[in-house]
Amino acid sequence: MSFVSLVFRNLFRQRMRTFLTVVGISVGITIVVALGAITGGVRETVGGWLRVGGADFVVARKGSADFSFSTVSETEWAQVAAMDGVERATGILMRVTRHGSNPYFVLMGIRPAQLAQAPPELISGRLPAPGSKDEILLGSGAAADTGSAQGSHVTIDGERFLITGFYRSDDVISDSGAYAPLEAVQEIARTPGVVTAVYVAAAGGTDPGALALAIEDAMPTLTTVASVDEWGKVDQGIRIMDAMNLAVSTLAVVLGAIAVMNTMIMAVFERTREFGILRAVGWRGSRIMRLVLTEALLLCLVAAFIGTALGVLATRGVMLIEAVQGLLEPTYSLDVFLRAVLIASAVGVVGALYPAYRAVRPSPMEALRHE
Amino acid sequence: MSSAPAIECVDVVKTYEEGRIRALNSMSLCVDPGELVAVVGPSGCGKSTLLHLIGALDRPDSGEIHVAGHDLAHERNLDHYRARHVGLVFQLHNLLPTLNALENVQVPMFELGIDAAERRQRARRLVALVGLEERERNRPAQLSGGERQRVAVARALANDPAVLLADEPTGSLDSEAGRNVLELLERIREEQKMTLVLVTHDPGVAERADRIVRMLDGCLDEPPARMPALAPPTLQPVQSYSSGV
Repeated sequence: MSFVSLVFRNLFRQRMRTFLTVVGISVGITIVVALGAITGGVRETVGGWLRVGGADFVVARKGSADFSFSTVSETEWAQVAAMDGVERATGILMRVTRHGSNPYFVLMGIRPAQLAQAPPELISGRLPAPGSKDEILLGSGAAADTGSAQGSHVTIDGERFLITGFYRSDDVISDSGAYAPLEAVQEIARTPGVVTAVYVAAAGGTDPGALALAIEDAMPTLTTVASVDEWGKVDQGIRIMDAMNLAVSTLAVVLGAIAVMNTMIMAVFERTREFGILRAVGWRGSRIMRLVLTEALLLCLVAAFIGTALGVLATRGVMLIEAVQGLLEPTYSLDVFLRAVLIASAVGVVGALYPAYRAVRPSPMEALRHE
Repeated sequence: MSSAPAIECVDVVKTYEEGRIRALNSMSLCVDPGELVAVVGPSGCGKSTLLHLIGALDRPDSGEIHVAGHDLAHERNLDHYRARHVGLVFQLHNLLPTLNALENVQVPMFELGIDAAERRQRARRLVALVGLEERERNRPAQLSGGERQRVAVARALANDPAVLLADEPTGSLDSEAGRNVLELLERIREEQKMTLVLVTHDPGVAERADRIVRMLDGCLDEPPARMPALAPPTLQPVQSYSSGV
């Protein structure tokens, strides 16, 4: 008999109670994992956006609530392009619209000549020709959704485009969208002379960080974003998701800890006499505390395992919803799973501290007298 | 007689309920190494309290208790003392219900850092010593009262203590099972040259001791050379304290 086998036996004494506690904590962990995977997916998508066309950073309107609401005038774009150290400044206008079954189809307006400078990964066909106004390059996700063929036409927001080819992208939103000539998208969006953001590639030998600061100094109403962590400067979505993630994780810890505490308090109360026996035969209080804490920890780690599996299943289930398919691609990073284990461990330790203290508080004699 | 006593209690006082109940009243006792001492007296006279203080399950209010060279009033690690130097047998076996006989015997060994294989081997030897080799895989609920008490004796011997303390070890057993447990304790004490302090109500049990210590109202009464037949408990004076064990 080992210490661990003793822990297992104690957990199996009240099977139903153990089971229900594990279920309760698993639900919390499921939500944490699912939210983490979705947030991770969004971050990855944003990371992909920031690097469109090999850009070092993005210039957008400061304080935008959502990136797609950002507006940079063509004058400002030209000012950025004219700054020392800028190799390439690509203006892109994003237009979110419904297309096929995708309610979040992103039409990216870009000058065909600039698209040719840093093209996406082509699967087939060619890029829209420079100077064209009615050609479009479709993402593979969008093509699969609408069953479009190269050389055929597609109508988006009343505008008819010739499909010149297909491209592939790692981020799901780009892959489910399309590149079209900037002027055509500006017309559809009724925003002439405006782009959403300018993607800047620094010239060789220029420090992109210093260049970004210089642009912000020269144009105080614009801001630069070089990484996902800075995304909050132009979009509150990730901040909201991070805050929600934190809130749910905190709630999961608190509720889980209460469930564990309740279970362990009951277990400790029922076994007070047994703890008295253990003390009477010489067990240190610290060993008894370790017994209680290990029981709770094991319970929570089992819940973490189950909750993680359910979390993955839950996000897979969410991905079956058509409207979500073009919008999200969950990322199952190690970080998400480590967070689940960490939260479960915290729940176990926090929830079992007081019961463990209660287990050793009475003297051996008081514990032995307990009925 | 050895020069250093195995157990020495000097003017031990133990009260409960903020001093309203005086369980031990300047109790003094000396037990030689290897001696079998039976502590007798009416219910509530403080026999069990004395045993619990010697076993360091509780602390006295005042007075001194020395056991196997340990001054319990100043002993910092009473857990280790309980694990290593004394073995306790209770009236109710006090075995852990989820563990079988062999595992129950191993429980005290955890504190001495004995490895699993050695624990198992030692426990097997002790279970055989109390004659339960065939029942070693049985849990307490699958054992008779006498068998449980024998497992409890084996557990008390787990760490080879110098002193064995038995609180009414036959009190909850029928006469035959009680006799067997008593013979077992005597045999072990003989073979292992152990000091044995036995609290009992049973004159038949007390008669087998080397010395009988009679207690009354929390202190030593005049010790008779041999145990007189005890009056039935109902005829004893009403006591103000019950140990509750």
